[in-house]
Amino acid sequence: MLKKHPLITFIFFGFILFLISNRLDEIRVYQGATVAIYAIGIASLILLIGYSGQVSLGHGAFLAIGGFAAALARIHYEAPIWLTFVVAVLAAAIGGALLGLAAARLSGPYLAGTTLALAIGLPSIANQFSILGGEQGITFDIGLPPASLGEDFTQYKWFFWISWTVALITLYWLRNILNSRYGRGWRAVRSNDVAAELAGIHVGRNKVLAFTISAGLAGLAGALLAMTISLASPGVFPLALSFSLATGAVLSGVTTLGGVMIGAVTLVAIPEIALAIANRYGSETITTNLPGLLVSALLILTVLFVPNGPVEQIHAKRAKKGHSSHSLVEISVRVGSKKWSTNKK
Amino acid sequence: MNQFLDMVLIGISAASIYSLMAISMVLVWRSTQVVNFAQAGMALLSTYIGYELVARVGHFWIALPLAMILGAAFSAFIEFVLMRTLQKHSSQGAIAAIAPIIATLGLLGLIRAGIGFIWGHADVQLEAPLSKVGYTFGDVTIVMSPMGLFVLLFVITLMIIVSIVFQRTNIGLALRASAYAPEIAQLAGIRVSGIRTLGWAIAGAAGAAAGILQTVNGTGALTPESLEFSLLLVFGFIAAVIGGLESLPGAVLGALILGLVLAAVQIYISGALVFIVAFLLLLLVLGLRPQGFLGSKAGRRA
Repeated sequence: MLKKHPLITFIFFGFILFLISNRLDEIRVYQGATVAIYAIGIASLILLIGYSGQVSLGHGAFLAIGGFAAALARIHYEAPIWLTFVVAVLAAAIGGALLGLAAARLSGPYLAGTTLALAIGLPSIANQFSILGGEQGITFDIGLPPASLGEDFTQYKWFFWISWTVALITLYWLRNILNSRYGRGWRAVRSNDVAAELAGIHVGRNKVLAFTISAGLAGLAGALLAMTISLASPGVFPLALSFSLATGAVLSGVTTLGGVMIGAVTLVAIPEIALAIANRYGSETITTNLPGLLVSALLILTVLFVPNGPVEQIHAKRAKKGHSSHSLVEISVRVGSKKWSTNKK
Repeated sequence: MNQFLDMVLIGISAASIYSLMAISMVLVWRSTQVVNFAQAGMALLSTYIGYELVARVGHFWIALPLAMILGAAFSAFIEFVLMRTLQKHSSQGAIAAIAPIIATLGLLGLIRAGIGFIWGHADVQLEAPLSKVGYTFGDVTIVMSPMGLFVLLFVITLMIIVSIVFQRTNIGLALRASAYAPEIAQLAGIRVSGIRTLGWAIAGAAGAAAGILQTVNGTGALTPESLEFSLLLVFGFIAAVIGGLESLPGAVLGALILGLVLAAVQIYISGALVFIVAFLLLLLVLGLRPQGFLGSKAGRRA
C-alpha cells in the first residue's frame, strides 16, 4: 500500500497515532512527540548523507538556529505558532546555504571536522549574543492548547499533535523530493560525481541545495524540540544531540528514508531501557552511563555489520533471491515502483 | 612590549600542545586515511589512566611515560580490532565514505561511557608536579612558569625523537612508504598492516602526552564530558588542516600559527572570541588553500 498510495498511507498512519495518543499516559505522549522530532532530524541527515553524500556531525547547530529563531519570532513579534516554524526553517536554511557553499568544496573528513567544530563551539558562539540569553537561553512558549479541543486536552498531547502533524507532512514532502529529479540528481552526484557532471547535473549546485534543505528541516526539528521543552538555550542543543542524530541516521540506514522510524524510536527507547536496567540493579552510575554505552555500542556494531542499514539489508537479500544481476547496479534510479538501473561503468 | 611577550609565550605554550594533538591526527590520517574523531576521547582516557597511576605510584614523572605507553597500546588495539574489521565490512555503498568517521564517533561515546563507569562524573584533580607561577625577572613576571617550560621542552624533545625516527630509521622509512604508496610498499616487503597499527600506536602516545600536559598545565580538573578535550580535538584538527593533514612539520607549523593567532585574539581583543576566530581560520584555510600549507598538491576537494 505504501508504494501505490503514499498519501493515504501517511494519513492512515496519522489517524492511528491520533487514536494511540488518546490511550497513552503523559510521559509516553511526550516521548511520542520526541520520536516525531528525532524522525525529522534523522530524515534531514539521511537526505544529506545518504543522498547527497555529504556528512554533518554538527547538525545540532542547525537545530539550535531553528529553535532560537522560532523563540525570537515568538517573543519579539508574537508570531503565531505556524509562522515561528516557517521562520525556523528559513533561518536554518540560510545558515545551511552559507555552510553548504563551503561544504560543497570539501570531501568527507574535512567536512566532518568542520561541522563537528561548529557543534562544539556552538555554546560559546551563542553566548556572544545577549539577545540569545546566554547560558539560560530564552523561553519559547506556544501557549495552551485551543479551548475547542476540550478541557482534559493536555499540553503534552498538544505538543504530540503538532509534532506528528509537522513530521508526517515533512516526511511525505521529503519522500516526494527524494523521488523527484532532485533526489535522482543527488544520488547520481553521490555515486559518481564525474559521471553526474557529464550527464549535465551541476554537482556544486546540487550539493548546496541538499545542504540547504537538510539544514532547513533540521531547523524545523529544532523549533519543535524547543517547543516541547519551552526553552531555547545552548543546553537544549548539546554536542550529544548532534551525535544522537548521526547515530539515528546510521541505525535507520542512510540510503533509504523508509527506516527513519527505526532510528527515531531507538534513540528514545534506549534511555528508557537503560533506566529499566538501572532500576533493577539500583545504581546511579548505570543510569548516567548506560544510555551512552548502549547507543555507542549499537552504532559501532551497525557500522561494522549492517553498514547500510536494516532496510537496505532486506532489499539486498531480496534482490539476491530475485535476480542476480542486481549487484552490478551502481546508480539505481527509482521512479515510483519501477526501477531503472545502469551498470557500473 | 610586555603584552607582546606574553602573547608569544602563551601562543607557543598552547601551540606545543596543539601540535601534539595535530601530529597524532596526522599520523592516523597517514596510516589509515581516517580522521580519528575519538582522538580526544583516547587522550582523555590516557589522562585518566595517568591520574590513576599518579594516585597509585605517586610520581608524575613515572606516570607520564607509563600513561603514554598505555595510550599507545590502547590506540594500537583500536586499530587492530575496530579499523581492520571496518575495512573488511563497510567498504561498499553510501556509507563507505563516512563509516570510519561514524565508527570513531561511536568509539568516542564508548570511551566516555567507560570513563563514567570507572571514575564517575565528578571532577577528579590531576595535580601539576611543578610550580605554575611565572618566572620573575627583577620586577617583571612573565607568563612562562616552570611547568609551562617543562611542557615546552618535553614537546620539543618528543618532536626531535619523532623526526629522527621518521627520517633516520628503517621503521620511519616503512612508515613513510606505507603512507605514500601502500601497495608498492607491500610489494617491497613491508608489512603495511603492521605499520598502520604502529602509526596508530605513536598517535596514541602523542595524544596521551597532549591530554596529560594540557590538563596539568591548565586547571587540572578532569570530567568525562570535558569541554577542554573537545576543544583540544578541534584545535588539533584545525592545526592539522592548516598544515595539510599529511605533513608532520605542517602540523607543527599549523599549531604555531593557530596558537599565536588565538593568543593574539585573547590578549588584544577578548578571550570569548577565541573559538569563533579559530573556526573562521579553519573556513578561511579550507576556502583558500584546501591542501594546507605543507600538504601535497593533490586536491583535497570533493
